Amino acid sequence: MLLFGLDLDYVLVIVLFCVGLYMLVSKSNLLKKLLGLNVMETAVFAFIVTSGMIEGGDPPILVAGTAAPYASPIPQAMVLTGIVVAVSVTAVALALIVQIHAHFGTIEVDELKELP
Amino acid sequence: MKAWSLLLVLLVALPLVVGVVNLPTHDAPDAPIHTGVGVRYLERGVEETGNKNLVTAVLLNYRGFDTFFEVIVIFTALAAVLALPRGSAARPGGFPEEAAHEADGAGGRPAEAAREANGAGVPVSPVVSYVVRLMAPFMAMFALAMLFRGHVTPGGGFQAAAVFAAIFIALGLVLGPARVAELVPDDWRPWLQGAAPLAFALIAAIGWRLTGAFLGFPTDDHTAQEAMGLFLEVGIALGGGVILARLFLEMET
Amino acid sequence: MSDVFDAVMLTLLIATAVSVARARDLLAAVVIFSLYSLTMTLVWQHRGAPDVAMTEAAVGAGVTTVLFFITIARTTRREKR
Repeated sequence: MLLFGLDLDYVLVIVLFCVGLYMLVSKSNLLKKLLGLNVMETAVFAFIVTSGMIEGGDPPILVAGTAAPYASPIPQAMVLTGIVVAVSVTAVALALIVQIHAHFGTIEVDELKELP
Repeated sequence: MKAWSLLLVLLVALPLVVGVVNLPTHDAPDAPIHTGVGVRYLERGVEETGNKNLVTAVLLNYRGFDTFFEVIVIFTALAAVLALPRGSAARPGGFPEEAAHEADGAGGRPAEAAREANGAGVPVSPVVSYVVRLMAPFMAMFALAMLFRGHVTPGGGFQAAAVFAAIFIALGLVLGPARVAELVPDDWRPWLQGAAPLAFALIAAIGWRLTGAFLGFPTDDHTAQEAMGLFLEVGIALGGGVILARLFLEMET
Repeated sequence: MSDVFDAVMLTLLIATAVSVARARDLLAAVVIFSLYSLTMTLVWQHRGAPDVAMTEAAVGAGVTTVLFFITIARTTRREKR
């Protein structure tokens, strides 16, 4: 949709990205920061998939039920790769958070900065 | 602190919005994404790759290198998690300094409480246990259907891997990680975890032999193409599923 | 009509993302995050990307949420400040 000359779908995804960025930057809890990173990642994926849409488009699977025009398959393949990378990053970060808590007793960045 | 964060977020948001103003509308038929190489994929994708699902065709065939390195990425993530020190509060091992502190009698650490909560074992409701054990075979069937029909319907390797991992995790939460770890036998475990990069390397070598290009699919022999694609999908599903299950096991125990 | 669906879904996404930011209880934040993941799945299905939607549904509901829960069980549950 167009609103004042701006494509509303893109702008709402940018707002989502900024919410995730705010969580990543300003929260002190490491788990909240990781949630913010995940929100940012999914917002970027939504942006990429939205850019591959076409008006009245069907999924790019050429079987009997679908007809031209098709949504573009290239952004969807990129986003599939991106989702797997996001899961990998989340898993490693969670393992690190568990180790940090076991070693220092806290997962708040404010308290971690005070430690000697 | 919050004000500076808001300022940073605004500074990031403004150039993004300005950039978006100049993009074409997201569902315009004449956007560059629809008039570039995507046209070739849509028109000649089925006859060149034998996959009716063009996303699978792009993932495995046209952009096969991206998928190759992405399975290496998730394998590296598992290696990173396994490389972390093996001691933590809930395990009998513990870090050397921690063991010394606890021997001194310095109690009251949050680590102690965590060990109590995990070692006790929360009882699982019988309703949850029954439903999960009832649904597990159907989930496995759905995963296999997605895997083997990935070239004509939405589906493919990653979806099957995620559902395999979900079955493993659901059963692991209900039956306990020790029993569920037997699903992946110990001597096969390293090969299963590396199944996706190994499958890709094998198909790349076969493709090199058949067409002269690394990871090249022969466009004239549809049977060979389908076989190679299916082998890759099975490799991705097995490798990805076992890696995600292993990540769950490493964090749970 | 599909424009209205789009607008409602995206607004729901932003509302859940803001709720994740504001929740002090980390368990509640992770549960709302899995709801965010489900809404994102619906958005992608509407945009003609069923492969991506299935992957996000399986990964978001199955793997990521459970790993977060295990981490909360091994660390703290409330966010300070």
